Amino acid sequence: MRIEHKSWRDPLLIGATVPLALIMILFFVVPLIMTGILTFQSSRYYRLAWTWDLTIWRDVFGHSHYWVVMLRTLGMSLACVVLSVLIAYPVAYGLATRLGSLRHHVTILITFAFLTDTVLKTFGWILVLDQNGVLNWGLSHLGFEPGAVNILFTPTATLIGMVYNLAVYPIFTLYLSLARIDRDLQLAAYDAGASRFRTFFEVTLPLSRPGLYAGAALVFVLSLGAFLEPKVMGGGNAPMASELINQSFSTRVNWPLGAALTLVLIVIGSASLALSAALTLRRRGGEQGRLSDVG
Amino acid sequence: MPSAIIEASRIIKDYGSFRALHSVSLEVGTGEFVALVGPSGCGKTTLLKIIAGFEEPTSGELKIAGSNMDGVPAAKRPVRMVFQRLALFPHKTVRDNIGFPLKLAKTEKVEADRRVRAMLDLMHLNPSYLGRYPAQLSGGEQQRVALARALVSRPGVLLLDEPMSALDVKLKKSLQAELKNLHRNLGTSFVLVTHDLEEAMMLADRICVMRSGRVLQVGTPSEIYYRPVDTFVASFIGDTNLFPVSIANGQGGSVAFSSPIIACDSAIAPKAQCSPTIEGDRASLLVRPEAMRFVEAGNAQPFATLNGKVEEFFIKGASIQFRIRVDGHPVPVVMDLPGTPNIPAAVGADVTIGFDRSDVFLLQE
Repeated sequence: MRIEHKSWRDPLLIGATVPLALIMILFFVVPLIMTGILTFQSSRYYRLAWTWDLTIWRDVFGHSHYWVVMLRTLGMSLACVVLSVLIAYPVAYGLATRLGSLRHHVTILITFAFLTDTVLKTFGWILVLDQNGVLNWGLSHLGFEPGAVNILFTPTATLIGMVYNLAVYPIFTLYLSLARIDRDLQLAAYDAGASRFRTFFEVTLPLSRPGLYAGAALVFVLSLGAFLEPKVMGGGNAPMASELINQSFSTRVNWPLGAALTLVLIVIGSASLALSAALTLRRRGGEQGRLSDVG
Repeated sequence: MPSAIIEASRIIKDYGSFRALHSVSLEVGTGEFVALVGPSGCGKTTLLKIIAGFEEPTSGELKIAGSNMDGVPAAKRPVRMVFQRLALFPHKTVRDNIGFPLKLAKTEKVEADRRVRAMLDLMHLNPSYLGRYPAQLSGGEQQRVALARALVSRPGVLLLDEPMSALDVKLKKSLQAELKNLHRNLGTSFVLVTHDLEEAMMLADRICVMRSGRVLQVGTPSEIYYRPVDTFVASFIGDTNLFPVSIANGQGGSVAFSSPIIACDSAIAPKAQCSPTIEGDRASLLVRPEAMRFVEAGNAQPFATLNGKVEEFFIKGASIQFRIRVDGHPVPVVMDLPGTPNIPAAVGADVTIGFDRSDVFLLQE
């Protein structure tokens, strides 16, 4: 539907959009500006001092500690994206093409697992990964020595938790992309002489890119803000950005520092979203990518 | 018929408890153009998919170019398909779409490029289209790209699954002419699936009429049109006239027929104008609309006449179609006359129409 230029004069439309716009401004734009303003102040004796200088920004970019945490966060997020997509692709592919009538049952199961409280699920992993947990108990019955797997409270455990909690996003975005691919395109590739393997890389994978980019961006952005998994499963040994920000606000009562770190994270997240959108929307000839391609 | 490139014998295809093909046999000669025609659900597309290798027959034997196709995947068969919705790869350019089979066959780059350009030329497509994506082309151009992709690797058989059903009439006509021309020039066997018998008659050397998973008749367009095996085949092309008649054996193997609505001095049809499948004492008399004409009092009387009232007429351009209500016949009798600006009869006029003996065909009711 084409939106007419005069639509801004339509009182009904204004009536419908103004409340939402106000809420967005009040609860999103204003806090963001306040966060920005905070970064130019300082903290003295656990109190906010209105100094209007760049001290905090110099701190943030000058201290190796912050770099380490930020790079660790980026590394963990990238690893989480790769693992989530690798796990999600076969699941989404199976859902879209193989399961037939079972598809709806499996979708419901995945949705239930997704809707279960994340805190519960994350603590549940402790029961599995603990030295005396389910995994080691099972392995010991298979002839491994007791406590063979000792990864709880390490970054590996954090990553497992993050992938477990976030893989569902690419499953659904990829499912939507894969389900839209015309089956005839794959038949046409077979007909032209392509093997199943070749058909996947020539046809299926390129056409599922919108779902791939969207899923990857979602996982990446949500990974940047991962708080629960590093705390619960990582044992707090290797804090990620969100933990650092939390400490800046609550323990160290250094609001300007927390605000600056938050903005860094927001910029990285926004940039990755923009990259994903650009890749999806990239004009491939007449095949104009659309955000609706991912649902 | 030249030596067969496709030999399908007693093909049965079951989907669960539904039998889509009941022991279908069909041969396609090398370089022949065969059309599979029938209403939707008659099994024509299923048969095509079995030939292409997208479906396995439940039983029966399929040979292509002399080799048994049991367990041979689609990619390894010497056939190429043009899909109903064309199935052009939306993320590949025209060049990559047409060149895809060559790329898979690891054809050398220069040679592949030469052949893609040759296909473009053959399809009357502008070389500047090479870099375009399918969505940037018109429906007719997409059609040609799909044909080019299917023909670029010089298959022995080209399968066409109603590729023209989505096009407007004018474009369809021009593509049909091109397809016929292409077939004549390439020497490739074509198998076309269509629900349009007129299209099949225009294009094909032989037509295979199917219904409910069975082959009803295989024959040349002329055989299908003038010597249909039954009333279904006879009326599949559209409006036609079928009069129920009583029959009796006449002299010299001819058949005598009679109908209360047809006035005829010696109602005898030669054996050659009777379907061999007729049984019993009832049959249908087929008279094509274009064989009908007005009979004016005083002029020479034709073989048979009917009296009726003009119910409606349509000016179709090249012809005028009259629909004439005849008492005792449930549907109007259809008559096509050559187009003329002087309409010979008005709606409601009482008329006598007639036809010649050479234009009748008797078939199983």
